Amino acid sequence: MAAFFIRRIFQMIIVVLVSAIASYALLNLAPGGPLAGLRQQQQNARFQINEDDIARIRAYFELDLYLPYRFTRWLIGVPRGPIVIGGQEYFSDLTIGCRKPTETETLNQKTGEYESRITGCKEYVQLKDLEGRRTSRGILLGDFGLSWRILRDRPVADLLLSRLPKTLQLIGLSTLLSLLIGIPLGVYSAVRQYSRFDYIFTTLAFMGSAMPTFFFGILMIIIFSIVPKEAGLPYVPAGLSESVRDYTVPLIGAVEAGSFKDRFLHILLPAAVLTIVNISLYSRFVRASMLEVMRQDYVRTARAKGLTERVVILKHALRNALIPFITIVVFTLPGLFSGAIITESIFAWPGMGRLYLLALGDYDYPVAMSIFFILAVLTVIATLLRDFLYTLADPRIRLS
Amino acid sequence: MSVAQVANLSAEAISIEERSPFQIVMMRFKRHRLAMVSLVLMIFIFSITVFAPLIAPFQVQELSVNKYFVAWGTVDEATGRVHHMGTDHIGRDYFSRLIYAGRISLTVALISVIISETIGIVIGAVSGFFGGWIDSVLMRFVEFMLTIPTLPLLLIISAMLLRDENLIPIPESILKFMGNLLLLTPRDARSAVLIILILAGFGWLNAAQLMRGMVLSLREQTFVEASRSLGASNFRIITRDMIPNAMAPIIVDASLGLAGYIVGEAALAFLGFGIQDPIPTWGNMLAASQQFMLDRPWLPLVPGLPIFICALAFNYIGDGLRDALDPRLKL
Repeated sequence: MAAFFIRRIFQMIIVVLVSAIASYALLNLAPGGPLAGLRQQQQNARFQINEDDIARIRAYFELDLYLPYRFTRWLIGVPRGPIVIGGQEYFSDLTIGCRKPTETETLNQKTGEYESRITGCKEYVQLKDLEGRRTSRGILLGDFGLSWRILRDRPVADLLLSRLPKTLQLIGLSTLLSLLIGIPLGVYSAVRQYSRFDYIFTTLAFMGSAMPTFFFGILMIIIFSIVPKEAGLPYVPAGLSESVRDYTVPLIGAVEAGSFKDRFLHILLPAAVLTIVNISLYSRFVRASMLEVMRQDYVRTARAKGLTERVVILKHALRNALIPFITIVVFTLPGLFSGAIITESIFAWPGMGRLYLLALGDYDYPVAMSIFFILAVLTVIATLLRDFLYTLADPRIRLS
Repeated sequence: MSVAQVANLSAEAISIEERSPFQIVMMRFKRHRLAMVSLVLMIFIFSITVFAPLIAPFQVQELSVNKYFVAWGTVDEATGRVHHMGTDHIGRDYFSRLIYAGRISLTVALISVIISETIGIVIGAVSGFFGGWIDSVLMRFVEFMLTIPTLPLLLIISAMLLRDENLIPIPESILKFMGNLLLLTPRDARSAVLIILILAGFGWLNAAQLMRGMVLSLREQTFVEASRSLGASNFRIITRDMIPNAMAPIIVDASLGLAGYIVGEAALAFLGFGIQDPIPTWGNMLAASQQFMLDRPWLPLVPGLPIFICALAFNYIGDGLRDALDPRLKL
C-alpha cells in the first residue's frame, strides 16, 4: 500500500511537470503574445518607440530570456542571479538571453511580402543582469506571479480568488442538484426497465447528453428570459451573476440589485443548463450500472432470503451500482475549480472558465498558465483519490 | 419424398442461411427505428450540403448592401432571387450560408473521424500486438493525454495555431484539395485543415484503447495461431486477421465520434478559437448571431438546431450500430 502510493505520487509529479512544460512551451512559442500591438505603434510617427523602449518592454515580460530559463523562473523562481558560494560569484557571465535581437527583412518569394526574421543578437543578457529584477517565487511554491493585462501588475492569485467563489457557487450547486436528481431517476428507470417511464426518460436523457451546452444555453435564454419579458410575463434575468440596476419582474415584484433574490434569479439559468446536462449523463450511467448489478447472483440471493424489494434495491444493488460512480464524483473536483468554460461564457458568468478564456484571448499568459497548472494538479490528485476510494468501496480491488 | 423434392428442400434451407454478414447487420440495424430515421435524415442533410452550389441562391460571402436583417422570403429585386431565411447583420443570405456552413462543419467532422480512427487503429494494433515496452510507452501516453482536461488544452493549441498560419507547414496540394472540397480558396482552407488536425490529434485516444483491447483478446484465438503456423508475417496477421475482426467497436466509436466532432468544432468556433467568420460554420454563425438574439431570437436558433440534430442523429446511429454489430445478439 505504502509502496503503491509512493510510486503513484512519483508518477503524479512527472505528469504535472510534463503538462506544465508542454503548456508553457505551447503558450510561449505561440506568435502574437503581449508584444502583438507594438509593431503597429512603431509605425505611428507620434509614438516613436525606439530600440531601448522595446528592450525594456521585452524585459518586463521576460521575453529577453531564453525559454528554459523563463520556464524555471516561472516554476521555481530560479535563476535570480549568479550563484554565490562562499562569497564567490560563479557563472555570472553565462548568457541566458538576448536583449536586442537583430531583425532582417527578407523577401518571401512565394507571397511577395517582406517578412522580418530574428537572425542574430546585438546585446546579450547575462546571469549577473538578473540581479535586482523582480521575480516570482515560483508557481510550485505558491506564487502565481503578476497578471500582464487583465489586472496589470496585480498578483494572479488575487484575480483567481476573486473569481473562485462564483465558480464554486455555480458548479457546486449544479453538481449537487444533478447528483440528487440524477441518481434516483437512474435507479427508478433501471428498476422499471422497459416501462413507459423508462422509455420516455431514456429518450430525454439521450437528447440531453447530445445537446451541445452552447445551444442549450441560448435556447434557455430565449425561452425563459427574452420571450416572457417581451410578453410581460415573469422572466428570469440572464447574464452576469447579479444585476447592476434594480428591476421589477412581474409576479415576483421589485428586485434590488445585489440582493439574495437578485443573485438567486441570476444563477437559475446557468445552473439549470449544467444540471440538466449532468442529470442526463449521470442517470444514464446509474441506469446501466444498476441493470448490470441487478443481474448478479448476490441480488438474487438477497431476494431469495425474503428481503423486501426496497432493501434489495437500496442496500444490495444500489450500493454496488454506485461504485463506478466514484470516478464521476471525484472528477468534479477539478471542475469545481476550472468552472464550465462554455456555460460561463454564454451567461457572462464571472467565473474561472470565463477568466481562462479571457486570459487566452488577451495574451495574459501568467493567468492562463496558473489556471491550467492548478487544473492539472487537481486532475492528478483526483485520479489518485479515485484509485484510493475504489479500494475502500470494493475489497476485491487491490492496489498494486 | 422424391430425390427432386429433397434437393429442393435443401436448396431452400441454404437460401435462407445464405446471408452475408453485411445483410445480417443491415437487418438488425433496420429494427432500431430511431437509428433508421437518423440515418435517412443524415443522408438527406449530407446530400443538401453536397449540392450546396445548386441549392443555395446566393454566394457565401455575397453582401446585399443596405439589406441587413431582411425578413424571411424577401425577394432580391435586382436578380429575383429569394432570401429564404432573410439576411444576417451585414446583409449576407442566411439560408445560403447555413448550407455552406453545413458542408464545412460536416466535412471537417468526417475527415477528423477518418484520420483519428486510422491513427487509433494503427497505434492500438501495434501496442496490443507487440506488447512489452512499446505497449507500456504508448498506453502511458494515452492515459496521460486522457488525464489532461481537453477543452482548456484544445483552446491553448488552437489559439497558438490560428494566430500564426504558417506555424505548421501544410502541403499546397492538401490545401487545394480541401479548398475544392469546401468551395474555399486554398488560403481559407488552411484554418479548416488546422481544426481537423487539432480535433483528430485528440480524438484517436479512445479508438486506440478499444483496438488494443480487441487485439489482446484476438491474439489468443486459434485462427491467429493458424495464420502464424502457415507462415504469415506480423504485418499480414495484423492487417488481415486482427483489424477486420476488431472493426465492430471501431465503427460504433466512429459514429459516436462524428457527433463529438460536430459539437467540438462548433464549440471551438463558438468560443472564437475555431474557423473564423467570413468562412461560415454552424458554430461561428451561432456565435455571431448570439448578440442579436434579444431582437431576433431565430438568428441563433437556425444554425444551432442542425448542430443538435446531427449530434443526436449520430448518437442514435451509433446506438443502432452497436446493437446490430454485437455478435452475442442472436437474430
